[in-house]
Parts: sequence; C-alpha cells; structure tokens
Amino acid sequence: MSSWFSRLYEYILSLFWSSEMDITLLGLQNAGKTSLLRVLGGGDFTSDSIPTIGFSMKRVRKGRVTIKCWDLGGQPRFRSMWERYCKGVNAILFIVDSADPATLQVARMEFEALVSKPSLEGIPVLVLGNKNDLPDAYDVDAIIDVMNLKSVDDREVSCYSISAKENVNVDAVLNWLVSKSN
Amino acid sequence: MSYKKNEDLDSGPGGSVMDKMTVFQDCIAGFNSSPIQPRRCRVLLTKLTYLLSTGDTFARDESTTLFFSITKLFQHKDIALRQMVYLVIKELAKNADDVIMVTSSIMKDTTVSSDVVYRPNAIRTLARIIDASTIQAIERLMKTAVVDKHPIVSTAALVSSYHLLPVSRDVVRRWTNETQETVLAQKMFPQYGGASGMSGPAPSYMTQYHALGLLYQLRSHDRMALVKMIQQFSGAGGSLRSPAAVVMLIRFVARVIDEDRNMRRPMNSLLVGWLKHKSDMVNFEAAKTILEMKDVTDEEATPAIAVLQLFLSSPRFVSRFAAIRILNRFAMVRPQNVNVCNIDIESLINDSNRSIATYAITTLLKTGNEASVDRLMKQITGFMNDISDEFKIIVVDAIRSLCLKFPAKQASMLSFLSGVLRDEGGYEFKRAVIEAMFDLIKFVPESKEDALSYLCEFIEDCEFTKLAVRVLHLLGEEGPGTKHPTKYIRYIYNRVVLENSIVRAAAVTALSKFSLIEDESVQASVKVLLTRCLDDPDDEVRDRAAMALRLATVPTPVAKSYLAPDSVPSLGALEQQLIMYVTGGPDAASVAFDISTVPFLTRDQVDADNFRAKVSSTMPVIGSSMDGSGAGSGAGAGAGGKGSPSAGGAASSSSGAGAHEDKTQMYAAALAKIPELQEFGAVMRSSNVAALTESETEYEVRCVKHLYKAHLVLQFDIENTLKDTVLEDVSVIATPSEDTFEEQFIVTLPKLEPESQGTVYVAFTRPEGEYETVSFSSTLHFISKELDPSTGVPDDTGYEDEYQVEDVELGVGDFLVPTYIGNFQHMWDTLPYEASETYGLEGVNGLTEACESVISSLSLQPLEGSELPLQAATHVLKLFGRTVQGGKVSALVRMAYSAKNGVTLKITAKSEEEVVAPMVAAAIA
Ligand SMILES: Nc1nc2c(ncn2[C@@H]2O[C@H](COP(=O)(O)OP(=O)(O)OP(=O)(O)O)[C@@H](O)[C@H]2O)c(=O)[nH]1
Ligand SMILES: [Mg+2]
Repeated sequence: MSSWFSRLYEYILSLFWSSEMDITLLGLQNAGKTSLLRVLGGGDFTSDSIPTIGFSMKRVRKGRVTIKCWDLGGQPRFRSMWERYCKGVNAILFIVDSADPATLQVARMEFEALVSKPSLEGIPVLVLGNKNDLPDAYDVDAIIDVMNLKSVDDREVSCYSISAKENVNVDAVLNWLVSKSN
Repeated sequence: MSYKKNEDLDSGPGGSVMDKMTVFQDCIAGFNSSPIQPRRCRVLLTKLTYLLSTGDTFARDESTTLFFSITKLFQHKDIALRQMVYLVIKELAKNADDVIMVTSSIMKDTTVSSDVVYRPNAIRTLARIIDASTIQAIERLMKTAVVDKHPIVSTAALVSSYHLLPVSRDVVRRWTNETQETVLAQKMFPQYGGASGMSGPAPSYMTQYHALGLLYQLRSHDRMALVKMIQQFSGAGGSLRSPAAVVMLIRFVARVIDEDRNMRRPMNSLLVGWLKHKSDMVNFEAAKTILEMKDVTDEEATPAIAVLQLFLSSPRFVSRFAAIRILNRFAMVRPQNVNVCNIDIESLINDSNRSIATYAITTLLKTGNEASVDRLMKQITGFMNDISDEFKIIVVDAIRSLCLKFPAKQASMLSFLSGVLRDEGGYEFKRAVIEAMFDLIKFVPESKEDALSYLCEFIEDCEFTKLAVRVLHLLGEEGPGTKHPTKYIRYIYNRVVLENSIVRAAAVTALSKFSLIEDESVQASVKVLLTRCLDDPDDEVRDRAAMALRLATVPTPVAKSYLAPDSVPSLGALEQQLIMYVTGGPDAASVAFDISTVPFLTRDQVDADNFRAKVSSTMPVIGSSMDGSGAGSGAGAGAGGKGSPSAGGAASSSSGAGAHEDKTQMYAAALAKIPELQEFGAVMRSSNVAALTESETEYEVRCVKHLYKAHLVLQFDIENTLKDTVLEDVSVIATPSEDTFEEQFIVTLPKLEPESQGTVYVAFTRPEGEYETVSFSSTLHFISKELDPSTGVPDDTGYEDEYQVEDVELGVGDFLVPTYIGNFQHMWDTLPYEASETYGLEGVNGLTEACESVISSLSLQPLEGSELPLQAATHVLKLFGRTVQGGKVSALVRMAYSAKNGVTLKITAKSEEEVVAPMVAAAIA
C-alpha cells in the first residue's frame, strides 16, 4: 500500500517537475557518437566500440531532465535515414573526428545538407570536435572554420572541442543539452 | 494493474469492421506521440497484426513508414510492448525498405545483460532483417547466443541460423564449433519443469534437436564429416537425450546408407541398436529405415519386423498405427517377410480404430499367398458392411492393385467387386469399384467378358449418370471385339429407352460403334435401333444418331476413323493448345483451330502411359532413390563401368504418364521452330535427358537425342552458371565414332548470358531403317567475355575457349519404346526370332538395382510387377516394347544374386524383326 502510494506521489511530482527531451547524435562513421553517448550516460569509455547499424536509443538522466538520445549510424547507407529521426527533436549533436582532417570535408557537406532541410528548420545544433586527446587534433576555431559554421544564421549553432576518451568537456555538452529542454 | 475489458479492441479482432487506413493513421499518430503510451500502442500493434495475418497488405511505402514509426517504440522498456514490436517487425520486414535500421537496437536486446524474455524474440527478429552485408556484425552475438546457458535463447539462435543460411552460408559455418558444443550440452527445458509440481510440458532436450539439425546443414555437403558426426553422436553413452534428435540422426544414417554401399554394414548395426532404444519413436524410425533400404536382406529385415510385431499388440493406438503402417508399406514389396506377423495382424482386423483395421486388412491382402486371398476376400465381405465408404474405398484400391499383381486371382476378385457393386454406397465408392473393374478389363484380358457382364448389370440400375456414361463408353470400346457382341447391344439399347438424355446420348454413341462389326445382320439391327433414336426428344441424341447413320453409308476406313480411331490426341497437349487458342485474342480467333499442332498418341502408347500411372499410384516409393532412379538412356547406365559417370547415369526418368507426354510436347514445340529440321519428317523418339557434366560445374550440359527416320538430332542444353561471364558463338563439335553418321549442320547459340540457359542442336544423317549405335565425343566451343564488375558490360575482346564434356551414347535403348501389353506369355510365344546372352554384373548390389539398370538401358516396359524383385536371391524380369519402326520386342531376364559373385543375369530376347533380338540380348555389355 505504502509503496503504491509513494509511487503515485512520485508520479504526480514528476508531472510538475521532470521533463523529457529528444536529441539525435549524427556524424560520419567512427566519429565517436556511440562512445560519447556511453560517457554521457555515466559509463566508462571503451575502445572496442562496434559500428552502429541503423540506430540505437539510450536514455540519459541529468537532474530532473530525461534525455532520450537517438544514436544513429554514420555509414553512408544510413545517412539518408537521419532526417526521419531528427524531426521534432529538441537538439542535434553533430560529431566530427577532429583528429582525422581527411574526413572533415565530407562531414561539412553532410552537415550543410542537414541544416538545409526545411523539416529540421530552427533545431539548435551543437557541433563537437571529438578526440581532442589525440595529437594534431583541430581546435575549436579550426573546426568552426572547416565546418563553415559562421555561415549558419537561421538557428543556434555552438561548437565545442571534446574528448569522450579523456572525458574532456563532456559535462559542458550535458549542460548545453539540458538548456535546450523546455 | 488491472486488465479491464478493452474497448479499443472491440472494433478489431472478433468485432466488426476494421478499416485499414484508419489503423494505419492511428498507428502513425500513436507511435510518434510522446510520451509513449504502452498499452495504447499494444492495442494498435495488435490491430496491425490482425490485419496482416488476415491477408491485408500495405503498399511498400506505407509499410516503410509504419516500420519506422514502430522503431520509435524501442525507447519504451515495457516487456509486453516490446514483444508485440518484435512480432510486427517480423511481419513488416518482408515488405518494407531499410529494415536494417533496427539492427543495433535489436542487438542491444540480445546481450546477456538484457532480460531473458527479450532475448529469444530479439534473436529471431534479427535473422529476418539481416542481410549479407551486415551479417558479420552479428557473428559474435550469434555465437554467444548459441552456447547460452538458457535453452530458449540457444534454440532461438540455432533456429535463426537456419534462416541465415541462405543469407550467408559461409558466415554461419563459422559457428560450427558452438553448434557442436550445444548438441553435447544437454540443456533441459523447461529447466525446472516437473520438479515444481506445476503442470506444463514435460522437460525435453529440444535444443539438441535444433543444434543437430543445424550441424547437418553445415556439414551435409561433406560425407566424411557426416559419417563422423553420426559416429560421434550415436556412440556409447548416447550423448543424445532428445528422441527427436535421435530420429533425425537416423534420417542422416538413411542418407549415408543410400549413398554409400560400404557404409551399409556399420550403419545397419547402429540401426539395430536403436531398435532397442527406450523411446518408441526411435524404434519406429529405425525399423522404417531398415525396411526401406534397397534390396534389404532377410537377415536385415527380420529384427525390424520383430520389433514392429511387438508394437502390433501395444495398448496404444499410435503405436499400433505406426507399426501396421510401416508393415503395410513393406508388404507391398516384400510380402513374404511380413507373413510372420499375420496372426497379430489378423487380430487387428476388428480394431476399434478404423485406420488400423483398414491397414491390417490391406496388409493381409498382400502378405497372403494366392490361396489365402480367397479366405481374406470372404472375411472382408463380412466386414465391408460395417465400415464407411471411405474405408471401403481403401479396401477396393488394395484389391485393385492385387488384381494387377495376381492376374490369376481375377475371378474371385471380380466376384468380390461385383458383389460390393450391388451394395449400397455413395458415388466415390462406386466409382472406385468401377475403376477397379476397368483396370481388370484393360490389364487382365481373361476377365474381360465376365467383367463386362457385371457392368451391364450395374447400369441396369445405376443412380449415377456419370458412371453410367463411363460404362457405356467402355461397352462401346470393348463390346464389338467380344464373342457375342449382340448381347451388349441389348443392354445398351435398354438405356436409350429408359434413361435421361445424357445417358441416352452416350448409349447412342456406344451403339454406333457396333456398326463396324462385319456382320450384316448385326449392322442391320444397329441401323434399325439408331433409326428409332432419330425420334428422340433431345437434340444431342438425335444428332448423334443421324451422324452414326450417315457413317454407315461411307467406306469402312472413313467410318472407322470417326468411330474407333487408331490414335487419339494427347489430351494434355490438346487442352493446352485450346487454352492458348481461346485466350489468344482476335488474331488467334481469325483462323480455325489447327488440330495438326496437337501430337497424337497410338493406343499402345496411351495404354503404356496409363499402366505406368496406375502402377506408380498403387506402389509405394521404397527408398528415396527409387523415384527418379537413374533411368537414363544410352548404353551402360549403372552397369557401365567403374568410376566413370556414364552418359545416361545422371539422367532422371520421368515417372507417370503426364510427365512423359509433357516432355514430348515440349520438345516438339521447340523443334518445330527450327526450319532446317522440318524436312527430316516427324520425330520417332526423343530420349531421356542425360547429363554430360557433373553438377555445379562452370557450364552444365545436358543432352537429348531425337531420332528421325534417316537423321539424328542432338539437343544440347547448356547452362552458363558463371555470374560474370557471357559466352558468344556457342556451338558443340560432336564427332561420331562411326562414319555412317554424317554431320549436316549445327544450330549455334549467338549469346549465352551469365546464369542462363540455351540450346545448341547438331544434326546428323543416320543409316535409314537400321539400328546402328554410335558414340559422339563432344566439345563445347565458345568465345568467353568477362563482365566489367562495375558496369556489368562485357569486355570487347573475349577469348576463344573449349570445354570437353562426356560422350553422348546412342544405344540400343534409344531405338526402343516401352509399351504395355496385357498377356505377356501369349505374345512371347508368337515372336519368331530369339537370342540370348549371359552376364556377370560387377558393382551391382542386389536385384532391385540390377532391374533398374536393365530397364533403363533397354528402355522396355516391365510387366506383371516384375520390376520389383520379391526375393533377394533370384528373380525374373519381363519386358516388352516396340522398336521405333513398330516391331514387337520382348525380353525375359533371369537374374541371381549372391554376395560373393554379385549379380549374374541371362537375357533372352525375342522379336518380330530378325536383327533386333540379338541386338537386345547384347545390349548390356
Ligand atoms: N582517442 C579517442 N578515440 C575515440 C574517442 N571517441 C571514440 N573513439 C574511438 O573511435 C572509434 C569509433 O567510435 P564509435 O563511438 O563507435 O563511433 P561512431 O561514431 O558511433 O561510429 P558509427 O556508429 O559507425 O557511426 C572507436 O574505436 C572509439 O574507441 C576519443 O575521444 N578519443
Ligand atoms: Mg555508433
């Protein structure tokens, strides 16, 4: 009886106090989306992460906010499906491998194609230059530059340099996300 | 949580209408809403499964949209919801695009840490959505699941692996070790079943069964591995706990025995061991397998029969049923071995289970010797009134096949049949009796007169129009040839007076056939009767009578061609041509239907085809190798030589009349398209198909020989099995071993696309009217061009290549056509020329095999059921046929078998044409 009551109480409380939000993690294969999500959820970094086939979903809780994270596969065959999972989300995380300059041109093209989609208009985007623990990784300014982020003017765009492996700036990402919940 | 009655579902299953589009819309809205409401979604998914399972389908884009909105439900952990999600995904996966998108989500549910309820569902779903490009990604997961300690997870993984075989056999093969381990792991399911006192399925080791099945799939191509597997799992201690798994292992054993003679002894001792297994299903399977072995010896059969005999008095219905059924099948080929059970079988005649009783009687009919047939017949006569029509039919069918095997017993069988014909009974039953009598008339000529009188009596009081019409037709066919035709005229005319118009019309037609009898008084009386029919109230009856009267005024040959034609159109072909004519549109309808495009069959051919169909429908197929047995044409199939696959060896025989006709018709249509062949005249005989290459080679070549009056056409069907190569200018150079054969022309094949089939024809002259045999060494010639892998366009420059195939043999059998004849002895006595030869056949194990090989190389019709040896030691095979020129030819083959000397046989051949007898006698060499 009491447990039933306390559950109801929590439930009513949650109606007022908690909120849920949806976000997607996009970016080319091997950028570190799945690794970042594991770390965001409080897990440990592992180096033997396997490529995501399609998508997978994970909940991350921060304070009273539950973030439903849709982690999408970055291989070319899955990119056409990104849009389906981005409709109506509160924010998009776009992750690039800042230590692999060869991939950045393709990343920029995919990014531009994404932000030009009418159905995704106005959704705030956070671009993350991941793997900054590696030598010769591009810094924030360089990423902003190659990704041509300054040219986006129809929505909020931010850019951080992070490392999922060394847990650098992961908290900042979480805080940015929470700030987008309504 | 309480589950009150759910109003939402009322419009669905069990309720009234459910509109597809509404469900679609509701689903899209429901699945995309946030937060997810699990119960509502479950109801929606239930509706969806209901629609899908009752035959509704969604267009591809709708399915895809649905599929993607369902993937959103993976965010909710509700167990019942997730199970529904899996169910629906499996359904939609067939018809939606990009289903691969859920792979990672599903993979998460398969991990060891996830709830055990999810895992089997997730694994089974995974197998439906995975494709060849992603199967590697699930390899590790599948391996872990196969060896999972939980049987339901393990079983799900094993069964899913079966389904993945077509996706990528190579990848699945990589978990062979895990599969093997699972067979040995002996997982019991339910794990704590029984012990807890809860009711439920008894615990079983089903995982073993699934694992063994998969292991077989992975190893079946490799006989050595298969044998090793059998030895391992049948070994002492018996690592197989699941009876179903043992039964499966026995099936593998059957395959090994069938394919490899040398394995027979060791494998048979395993089977004997299983006869004593504690599970009865294993006992039955072992006994059945032993009895189905080719040429099973008495020593081999005895223990199996002894076990079955014990089961005959089992208190359980199923056991008695299984035992009598196996014995019944075996009794068809080896009645004398089943004799020992007769007393037990007799006690089953009155079994309260009628299936058992019926099998018991029909078994006894076969095991009984000629003497006991009478006694049994009496016994059944008492029994017949107590059983339903359905069982009466089974009995009648048994007697019918008995007639064909014991022609000497025709009198008592006929009186039995006429007796039951007088009994009450429905159409199907009466029809079965009539059919049996028709068979007797056709195939046991001595019984004709008596049977016809019984039938006359039958139509005097027959409530079934269809049957009366068939009997009248038969009277018209057979009556004029009997000693006292006038007797039948009276019976037939009575029908004209008393029956409905359909029967009257049939009677008029039957009557008209009697006008062909060369006896003026008969002709005159038929004319009087037909003239009376001109006053009939029915148009059809009057028309037929008028036609018949008119035919009486024309010369006899003309009349005969209408009333009793020598050849009849092949009905299958006629039907097909008519369908094409009727559906051909205005173009086809602008000209009259051309009956000359339909092949005609002589009466002999029709009889032989019917006989074959009859025999094969009443005989069981013993041993899988019996259907499509290597009845190839060409000399030396089977008996040929050691090692080398002889030309005819790999051919498959067409069984049954339909297949034979269809084939002739198919060839005729293809040959008619080649203008050069038209002047050769009509094809006298087309051979069976002979494979000239092993299967699974780059190019597979098969050959059919078409014999013309003075020509021979070789038809080479060539299959290019390569994925990435086009062949151009394909031809075959066939060099005859005799210079009496001269090449005329080759119809080449300009282009053979990858993975496709085409035909090359090579025409020769041959010595007209002679039976000269020859062999052709044949080589395929072509220009090979590879396809560019990226564009799929062939290279400009190919290279010339050739490919040697097996020789094509034109043997004695190619000049002979199997033909049925009712009275072997009579025909044998009349043939003038005789020759004989004696042979020892090496490498032939047993008389069944020897019979098959002789029948296929001589291409003659086995008669009196002599193609199935009843004894293991000696046998006489009786054969009959005609040469392509129409001369009768017959052979009596006496054979003996001993394990030491193999098969010894003596062929005595007789023929109408002088050259034929020695040629046939020498054909086996
Ligand atoms: N050094 C370093 N390696 C990282 C970091 N983040 C991820 N990786 C490695 O990068 C590889 C790819 O990581 P994933 O998280 O699987 O990449 P993904 O973006 O999910 O790839 P897809 O699922 O194929 O789209 C893995 O080997 C990770 O160990 C990081 O911050 N530093
Ligand atoms: Mg990933």
